[in-house]
Amino acid sequence: VLRFIVKRIAATVPVMAVVALFVFSLLYIAPGDPAAVIAGDQASPADVERIRQGLGLDRPFLVRFGEWFWQILQGNLGTSIFTALPVSGMIAQRIEPTLSLMVVTLLLAVSVGVPIGVVAAWKAGSLLDRVIMGFAVLGFSVPVFVVGYLLAYVFALQLSWLPAQGYTPISAGIGPWLENLVLPAIALGLVYIALIARVTRATMLDVLSQDYVRTSRAKGLSEGPVLFVHALKNAAVPIVTVIGIGVALLIGGAVVTESVFAIPGLGRLTIDAILRRDYPVIQGVVLLFSFVYVLINLLVDLLYTVLDPRIRY
Amino acid sequence: VVRNAAALVWDTLYGLDDKLVPQRQMAESEEVSADGLTWTFKLRPGLKFHDGEPVLAKDVVASLVRWSARDPMGLMIRAIQNELVAVDDRTWLWSLKKPYPKMLLALAKNNAPCSFVMPERIAKTDAFTQITEYVGSGPMRFARSEWVPGAKAVFERFADYAPRSEPPSWLAGGKRMLVDRIEWIIMPDPATASAALQNGEVDWWENPITDLVPVLSKTRNVVADIADPLGNIGSFRMNHLHPPFNDPKVRRAVLTALNQEDYMRALVGDEDKLWKALPGFFTPDTPLYTEEGGEILKMRNLEAAKKLLAESSYAGQPVVCVVAQDQPITKAFGDVTADLLKQLGMKVDFVATDWGTVGARRAQKTPPAQGGWNMFHTWHAGADCLNPSSYTAIRANGDKAWFGWPDSPRVEAAVTEWFDAPDLAAEKAAMAKLNRAALEDVVYAPTGFFLGYQAWRSNVKGIVKGPLPFFWGVSKA
Repeated sequence: VLRFIVKRIAATVPVMAVVALFVFSLLYIAPGDPAAVIAGDQASPADVERIRQGLGLDRPFLVRFGEWFWQILQGNLGTSIFTALPVSGMIAQRIEPTLSLMVVTLLLAVSVGVPIGVVAAWKAGSLLDRVIMGFAVLGFSVPVFVVGYLLAYVFALQLSWLPAQGYTPISAGIGPWLENLVLPAIALGLVYIALIARVTRATMLDVLSQDYVRTSRAKGLSEGPVLFVHALKNAAVPIVTVIGIGVALLIGGAVVTESVFAIPGLGRLTIDAILRRDYPVIQGVVLLFSFVYVLINLLVDLLYTVLDPRIRY
Repeated sequence: VVRNAAALVWDTLYGLDDKLVPQRQMAESEEVSADGLTWTFKLRPGLKFHDGEPVLAKDVVASLVRWSARDPMGLMIRAIQNELVAVDDRTWLWSLKKPYPKMLLALAKNNAPCSFVMPERIAKTDAFTQITEYVGSGPMRFARSEWVPGAKAVFERFADYAPRSEPPSWLAGGKRMLVDRIEWIIMPDPATASAALQNGEVDWWENPITDLVPVLSKTRNVVADIADPLGNIGSFRMNHLHPPFNDPKVRRAVLTALNQEDYMRALVGDEDKLWKALPGFFTPDTPLYTEEGGEILKMRNLEAAKKLLAESSYAGQPVVCVVAQDQPITKAFGDVTADLLKQLGMKVDFVATDWGTVGARRAQKTPPAQGGWNMFHTWHAGADCLNPSSYTAIRANGDKAWFGWPDSPRVEAAVTEWFDAPDLAAEKAAMAKLNRAALEDVVYAPTGFFLGYQAWRSNVKGIVKGPLPFFWGVSKA
């Protein structure tokens, strides 16, 4: 297994190199000019040109890519064009809110999505099943920002139970930290809950028709252990896969959620960087997200061996 | 945004008050020689930077050198400068080759770049390179450790700040801070900002969108009012380098067909108090405002416009109209312009894009078919349009002019006349000539004057209307 892990981590290097080239090339051909944004609306064309030269944006593609790639190899993500701060520092500053949001959302989604998926499969065809699947369709269909605004309106403005925006670091206490994350996590988690519930239901339906389930019931086991111990364990591989895939959904959703709830995380950093054409920041964040995604896929692959002893690498 | 934050951290030698008159701020006195060629300034005693060092004349000189390399008025002074030197710790001298009557306005204006004073070692940074140390002598110090770029900036009261004794008036007078800490939170979403203000999570919202103001006005403990009486001037610029707008007749045809009410309604809806027709280029209700030559904008005449277009060199080519969709103002203006051009009988190539792309594309001088453009929309802060001093968009000096590169010697002559004007009457005469010439040559197309709102919690007192948020004199119960 250790050899597999090392091999997989080593395999991320060419993946990251391709991502780096792809991101850099896309940004190079994309319209927009950070020099124009920095210069401001009243700047003269000569000012813009001078800033562009100062930033080295007038140099050829290969020179700029080579310089940036060399920096990356040395572990340096570069400096923000707009703030003149190191990109790694800016990312470090923003990582806690995003990580917090993703962890709370993930816990919420798994703890809600899996049980309701199991129940829906158990009561397949019943009213309860239809209600759960109806909820799942709703979760898929309603955009994150609509859910976000509705939650903020009801729970922040009308009931004053929770704040409408912002983020409190975990160092200020679990209570205040969680208070700011409840609404964003529900808004972001809805689509994820729907996805997990549907996959869990479909997989469980298949497993529940297996002979060993009938046997365990015949042996007198109650429904709880049958569903959650025997059946769910055997349905776990596709569910874990979809949880892993869903992290990509979370990353995309976090960008919108952080804007709606004014959370100073990586999602907002990405949007701001794109609007300002702050190339080093965009490149740094995309590289980080790609790396995280590759690692999560690795983790999912490793979990397969735990969940299904037949799988070996 | 940077200018607004900077006004807390850095102080200026002079400050423009709410009557638009330059007043002494860090400066204690000034003397100008009888021939108008030598200015001798003196600093107020007891001024300190946030690092505890005293503010000295050498810091002022270095700051003015940096500022004058970038600012349009600074560049004019630099062009006629003999020397700029510190005479002693509190005195500096600026000698010129010809008189510059607008010296105090240049040092007091609130348009970026402002002549902020910083320590000499920082001011010596190349004028086109961002400074990395934020040490000023203003009433608040920047809490850099709490800065989350794009999300939050924190300012703490500077205990050693020495305010003037006069009452505060915009950037002039005593900048007394009544709060110890300002948390400046950036919220990208207006609905979130509105909820935060209604919920009491924030105290003051700088720029609520018009659509949300009725909700805010109905909320208990929230007050909404006009933010800046100087407002904004909407505009679209035509590219004078390429057909069809290289022909003044085509530009005049567009201006003749233009109805400013269409633009303003698209932006502010039915709120009549938020807009005014603007038959000219300068901020209404200010001392130098003029409507000279504004007849062309006072009454829309589509038939006359079509006739003018028929007499012009327009050959049916598409007008490449670049419109930023991520800015509500330019989006609204762009939709109206597309309709206007079609009514006029012109073909439109509507390029819907974002502001970042507009910023890059408008700098292209190539023909529209090769990545250039014919038209883009923007707006100008009314504070920038009081006179020609900081009004980059009104200049018509060809290659050196703002995007669109208008070339009109008579506009430039009127600008020079204003700079040289010795008194208010002469300034007004120059402004009238300038307004007429800029309209006749259609430097750009003004789409109207509009105002915006600000909103705050009712326990916050002392908020004034102005071109930037002034935090001095503001208290929170």
